Amino acid sequence: MGASNMGEVLPVSFRNQSGLMLFGSLHLPETSPPPIHQKDLPVVVLLSPGVKMRVGPGRLYVPLTELLNSQGFRVLRFDFFGLGDSEGDLAETVLADVYNNIEVGRYVDDTLAALNWLSAEHGAKRFVLGGLCGGAITAILAAERDARVDSLLSIGMTVTLASNAAKPGQYLTRAQLDDRRRRYLLKMLKPDAWLRFLTFRSEYDVIWKSMKRAFIKEKRVVAAPVAINAPGAPGGPAAPVEQRGNANPLFPKAYFTFLARGGKALMLFSERDRLQSEYEEKFAQPYAAQLAPHAAQIEQHVIPHANHVLSFREWQEQMLGLSRAWLAKLYA
Amino acid sequence: MTETPFYFYRGATRLFGMLHASASPGTARTAYVMSHPFGEEKLWSHRVFVVFARTLAARGIPVLRFDYSGAGDSGGETASASVDAYLDDLGAAVEALLARVPTAERVGLVGLRFGATLAAQFAERARLTEKFPTVQRGPLALWDPILDGENYIQELLRINLSTQLAVYGKVQESREVLVERIRGGGIANVEGYEIGLPLFASASLKELLPAEGLRHAGGTLVVQIAATEKAKLREDQQRLAELSTEGAFQRAIEQPFWREIKAFCSRAENLQNQTLQWMEQRHGCQQHG
Repeated sequence: MGASNMGEVLPVSFRNQSGLMLFGSLHLPETSPPPIHQKDLPVVVLLSPGVKMRVGPGRLYVPLTELLNSQGFRVLRFDFFGLGDSEGDLAETVLADVYNNIEVGRYVDDTLAALNWLSAEHGAKRFVLGGLCGGAITAILAAERDARVDSLLSIGMTVTLASNAAKPGQYLTRAQLDDRRRRYLLKMLKPDAWLRFLTFRSEYDVIWKSMKRAFIKEKRVVAAPVAINAPGAPGGPAAPVEQRGNANPLFPKAYFTFLARGGKALMLFSERDRLQSEYEEKFAQPYAAQLAPHAAQIEQHVIPHANHVLSFREWQEQMLGLSRAWLAKLYA
Repeated sequence: MTETPFYFYRGATRLFGMLHASASPGTARTAYVMSHPFGEEKLWSHRVFVVFARTLAARGIPVLRFDYSGAGDSGGETASASVDAYLDDLGAAVEALLARVPTAERVGLVGLRFGATLAAQFAERARLTEKFPTVQRGPLALWDPILDGENYIQELLRINLSTQLAVYGKVQESREVLVERIRGGGIANVEGYEIGLPLFASASLKELLPAEGLRHAGGTLVVQIAATEKAKLREDQQRLAELSTEGAFQRAIEQPFWREIKAFCSRAENLQNQTLQWMEQRHGCQQHG
């Protein structure tokens, strides 16, 4: 799973709206010159997750790029400002704050700059935006503002804000609490666990919440529908909306705006990743009614056992297989 | 200052490089190649490398950062990597730098963790084979080098166990099983990077660098990166420096920026300043060189 099957690669650079130089690489399919149908295909832009640079954690984007090239897509990977090889500096000193700023759209403008550059320099007319975690949320926030984005390849969409995660007990999903309860019960036979409990080193709020769920039935939350941008209207920054818990208030409006104009989404999640239950409990369930009319546009899969960054080869291969099939269906 | 991304080759393997240089690198007499650590440590430390390279370039010193095969934007896979292959990558990087900065009389190497170990091994190999004279004359800055390869590989495999524990709730394959599989020609996955027999056999050694020290003529700086002043002295690193020709040992107080920690580290000021000061003392660092 490496870069043995690489086609032509061009090191590229372009400026964002602040004038900072962003570095990346444009990966072209091996067939040269490209057949006409390849030119009609959208260009795929893979957006970096978190503070990792353009190859992604464990070089996840390398085999993904190879797959996309093999299907005839041109692929751009680039570094956002202040990260990787690109210019600029980030002022944050805490990682969660960097994540939080990404989740509220820090790199949307860089993404739009990449799309404009691809249009101007390579004649690209439409795009697939893809990415893991922070790359996925950046993709949907950018898609809200740019109608040239016609599909979304999301791996581990994050629908919450990281800074609030500093209070771990407060925002756990039901699935996470149930998982914790199972683990706590297993620990009841372990003396060191009791030692922690009796010496005030346990997460008492989490223990209480997880145990409480076994006895008290909770009411299901239903969210009021969010307003979306009118079709054809420029996206612009999202209007302020109420934040529920640690849910990212920007996500529902961006997603529904994208879906309302016919956008297609592949939503991949890892089973052993909190993002999956967060998506279900903090977005999909509360917005079920508003989501229902768009069911045909969304393909969702959970990769069994996989962790957040799909580190094991079998998980990566499942992600690649699902991506391949979805793209083939959309752009055959 | 210019930053030029480009590809170069080690055999059939395409490697990615980024040359940081002043507007006129054609007069520089000293240049550097930076040697990144293995696996995910490369990504976490990436920005510290970028900032250091830019700082040197702003002083008129060209720097090449590059990706080893199987890392970053380079071709190849870690599953087939070995220490020898990495040293060949480093040799190709030095040649790529010299092709772009032909005035360089000295090529210094700066490495972090396993990348530091590779830099030191490369300098030793250059001396023993009487190749790369520019490297033999150049400074060698080793940031927290890995000296005990056996222990290091076990640490990497421990990451695999942590992943198993997190996703399956238990360790399904012990380290012994993983080692057995590698010895049998299989691989073990560490955060997405696959370790195969060639790397295991060449890196899992008790002494990755000569116990009697390095005989590198260009001078060697060994830096222990310590999270606090109270952190335990790395006597093995200190010994390496003391036994090396023109060796120096320092401790730099920095968070372990090569792995995920609460802090966001885009630069390592203490490490950078101490290294620059040593470089200045060795060869003069500003508009030199």
